[in-house]
Amino acid sequence: MIKNYIKIAWRNITKNKMYSVINIGGLAVGLAVAMLIGLWVWDELSFNKSFVNYDKLGQVQMYQTFNGERGPQLAIPLPLKKELEKYPDFEEISLASWNSEHIIANGDAKFFRNGMYVEPAFTKMMSLEMTQGIQNGLDDVHVIMLSESLAKSLFREENPIHKTIKIDNKDDLSVTGVYKDFPKNSGFSDVGHLLSWKYYEARSSWVKNSMTEWNDNSWQCYVQMAQTSNPEKVHSKIRDIVLNNVNNDRKLANPEVFIHPMSDWHLYSGVENGKMSGGRIQYVWLFGFIGLFVLILACINFMNLSTAQSEKRAKEVGIRKAVGSVRSQLINQFMSESMLTVFISFLLSLLLVFALKPWFSDLAGKTLNLPYLNVNFWIISIAFLGMTGLLAGSYPALFLSSFNTIQTLKGKLALGRFAALPRKIMVVTQFTVSVTLIIGTIIILRQIQYAKNRPLGYDTNNLIYVHMNTPELRSANFETVKSELMQTGVVENVSKSSSPVTDDWSNNSDFQWQGKDLNSHPLFNTVSINHEFASTVGMEFIQGRDFSKSFASDSAGLIINETAARVMGFEDPIGQYVTRGGFEKLQIIGVVKDMITGSPYENQRPSLYFIDKYWYSLYTIKLKASESPSVAIAKLVEAFKKLNPGSPFTYSFADMEYSKKFSSEERIGKLAGFFAILAIFISCLGIFGLASFIAEQRTKEIGVRKVLGASVSHLWQLLTKDFLQLVMISCLIAIPIAYYYLSGWLDAYQYHTEMSWWIFVASSLGAMGITLFTVSFQAIKASLMNPVNSLKSE
Amino acid sequence: MIVVKNLQKIFTTEEVETTALNGIDMEIKDGEFVAIMGPSGCGKSTLLNILGLLDNPSEGSYVFYETEVAKMSERQRAQHRKGNIGFVFQSFNLIDELTVFENVELPLLYLKIPAAERKVKVEAALERMNMMHRRNHFPQQLSGGQQQRVAIARAVVAKPKLILADEPTGNLDSANGEDVMKLLQELNNEGTTIAMVTHSPYDAGFAHRVINLFDGKIVTENFHV
Repeated sequence: MIKNYIKIAWRNITKNKMYSVINIGGLAVGLAVAMLIGLWVWDELSFNKSFVNYDKLGQVQMYQTFNGERGPQLAIPLPLKKELEKYPDFEEISLASWNSEHIIANGDAKFFRNGMYVEPAFTKMMSLEMTQGIQNGLDDVHVIMLSESLAKSLFREENPIHKTIKIDNKDDLSVTGVYKDFPKNSGFSDVGHLLSWKYYEARSSWVKNSMTEWNDNSWQCYVQMAQTSNPEKVHSKIRDIVLNNVNNDRKLANPEVFIHPMSDWHLYSGVENGKMSGGRIQYVWLFGFIGLFVLILACINFMNLSTAQSEKRAKEVGIRKAVGSVRSQLINQFMSESMLTVFISFLLSLLLVFALKPWFSDLAGKTLNLPYLNVNFWIISIAFLGMTGLLAGSYPALFLSSFNTIQTLKGKLALGRFAALPRKIMVVTQFTVSVTLIIGTIIILRQIQYAKNRPLGYDTNNLIYVHMNTPELRSANFETVKSELMQTGVVENVSKSSSPVTDDWSNNSDFQWQGKDLNSHPLFNTVSINHEFASTVGMEFIQGRDFSKSFASDSAGLIINETAARVMGFEDPIGQYVTRGGFEKLQIIGVVKDMITGSPYENQRPSLYFIDKYWYSLYTIKLKASESPSVAIAKLVEAFKKLNPGSPFTYSFADMEYSKKFSSEERIGKLAGFFAILAIFISCLGIFGLASFIAEQRTKEIGVRKVLGASVSHLWQLLTKDFLQLVMISCLIAIPIAYYYLSGWLDAYQYHTEMSWWIFVASSLGAMGITLFTVSFQAIKASLMNPVNSLKSE
Repeated sequence: MIVVKNLQKIFTTEEVETTALNGIDMEIKDGEFVAIMGPSGCGKSTLLNILGLLDNPSEGSYVFYETEVAKMSERQRAQHRKGNIGFVFQSFNLIDELTVFENVELPLLYLKIPAAERKVKVEAALERMNMMHRRNHFPQQLSGGQQQRVAIARAVVAKPKLILADEPTGNLDSANGEDVMKLLQELNNEGTTIAMVTHSPYDAGFAHRVINLFDGKIVTENFHV
């Protein structure tokens, strides 16, 4: 019987070629999208799951309140660890530095790679998979553990264990272990090596001194919970540890210690009302739903075209019933047809996924692969196909099998006034989804553009950063560096600072000034700059002046931004004093326009710029606009060979760094655009097929109307009117839905565009235009038909 | 045996009520060949549809081989129809997407008869209708007479107790019509009960008995010897 079902199904597919192409093509696109999104969702959901102790691991964080806003912060004070050790709730605890760049060298093989200083427990907690050496390899001071890829780069086929590498052109460290690279979808994916915390303390006195300093939040701490621990009880035990130990000024931030479980790191790191809530999971849901919707749109095409074909299939249904088919057998037959269509579409969608994968991986910012060899993939695929087949085939199967035998055998299929209603509802559904996606895409793109157009307060053109990542660069005399670079002839200006102009690396709340509200505890971005910085990056002064070498007192000078002036409440800030750390008095000499250093979607933070000759991290170099970047960089490479011998020259362009701030939203915008195009494509495919059916059904009517004198344009109106009405209804439904969800999305950004009415009008007109174009093809074709032929068709 | 008592069929639309059958009493014995005649709209086809379990009467009793079927649901009727009744239509009603062989095979498929057995039965039926050489053709590739022979093969393949023929020669020329009537007669001679609706007195001449309907009632019954 099944063979017979499939045979009939195949013949029907090959007989109605255009509808089969629409069905199979649309379903293949829908399935391919569902699969691509499925891969993406799977990757997101499996983030960090490769860690054996996934369920027990967490990061110690603190909620603090600054500038009236409460939020989580990763950085913790070092003595917190000793306090946590007192509780049996933690099986393991490890302090960790930030993941930062180091130069790792084995002879001439020299690489910049990110790595972290961690305590010995870290390797066990993170279940490091060793390929060589020991897992517990960080007990000593001068030791290092390498990722497999870094070990290969440094030692090629040699065994690296007990070999020595040089770090940061300075110390020799012995390799104690080589671990398999952390998986791409893990929080440590770019940790290329692990260094001993003891070495960190030995190397940096400030780290050692901070081991007992409660008021410096500069490090990270990871924990592995004991099997029996209860997260809520643990939280109540540890929440006030920092609060009870910090000075009175810091107490104002009301620090609350909590453990952020590893299972929440990736998807649940959003912040709402000062607490961890939501995060990327919202996008997982969003795109999951969109994938499902695109697939449903394709299924709707199948349902619509199948039921539209009902008149043609009615006779067959009648005969089958007369010769003994019961309804369930007919349902099975039609379901087999839909399953076969879905199966062919699936094969086609595999090809599509294969072709689109590199592009989609690029768009999604991750490497996605179809797990052909994974049994679960095939089981899920088959289950998914079954469900799609059921979804697409159930309505036509129930509808077609319900026909009255006698009427169908007589060739009279009285479907009633409302027979086309489900079809209309489905078209409306399709266009509602499409129009919502179009509006969404426009608003996302506008929001990105709006933030991009936001005044920066500085000029990123021809600006590059060079990090002081070697002892040579850190200890170099600035004037020497400057003169060497100026001699290249391609440099307009050189400066140095503690943070890049496009970022804020440091903040501090320990400032006092006259008239400060003692209950407020604002947090300021703090940047150490030199005399050349403001002119190099193009800071715009609105009051006062830049640091000048002509005034020796400027070493205790302070430049603030507009927001800082407002936060401090100064009407005339110039000349006012601000005390840093309770003793260092700085005098305000200038006020600059706000500069976007953090998220371009957030409100400006108060920022303070001062000269701290011991605190610089990078050079900012302004290249001459007249020089091409490639020529300029080639010259800088030569100059840095002298300044920083033996180390590769690494740099980044400020404008590219700045544009990275938009990458997440741009990705969402591109994905939304991609889905919107697909949704409208599939919907149009559907109405194209439907229009052709309706034109076919009304052939006789068209013929009679033509004989009676109807013009082509009249007939065109007749045939397109119904579709336009449906799309208009869709727009009316889509607009409030899009408004509701997108206003919520926009509200999450402090700096956001408004939803203008024209977006809704333009999207609706666009959808109607596309519909008109699609339907007109069939309508005009039908209207141009010779009425003699159309009348013969009866 | 078929026994029908006081059969009524009323079609109701929003505005009109039409009585198609009005108190039909009749019996069809096993092995009988009955022709039903009458002018258009007299209820012939309605009666045939009810006899064929394609439709329910509005009133009355219909005993089909000792089972009262008048009030059965569509599902129950379909189960009873299967294998017991064969249909021959004026417009052949073959499925265009199926070959001759597959069209004839259809009733056996629904009876879940194994493939090997189906093959034997279908080939026997086609052989009998002299259509074996056309087994792999599609209906559109056949003449009207050939199509009707295939339809008859399909009607008899499951060896039903009753064959219902609705103007089986209506779409055929006289030579092909004659062939078809002879085939039906042969089947009847072998024991199959046949009820046939026809306009043609000639075709009715093949039957043992002719029932004349007028306005939903049996007006006369003539017996041929």
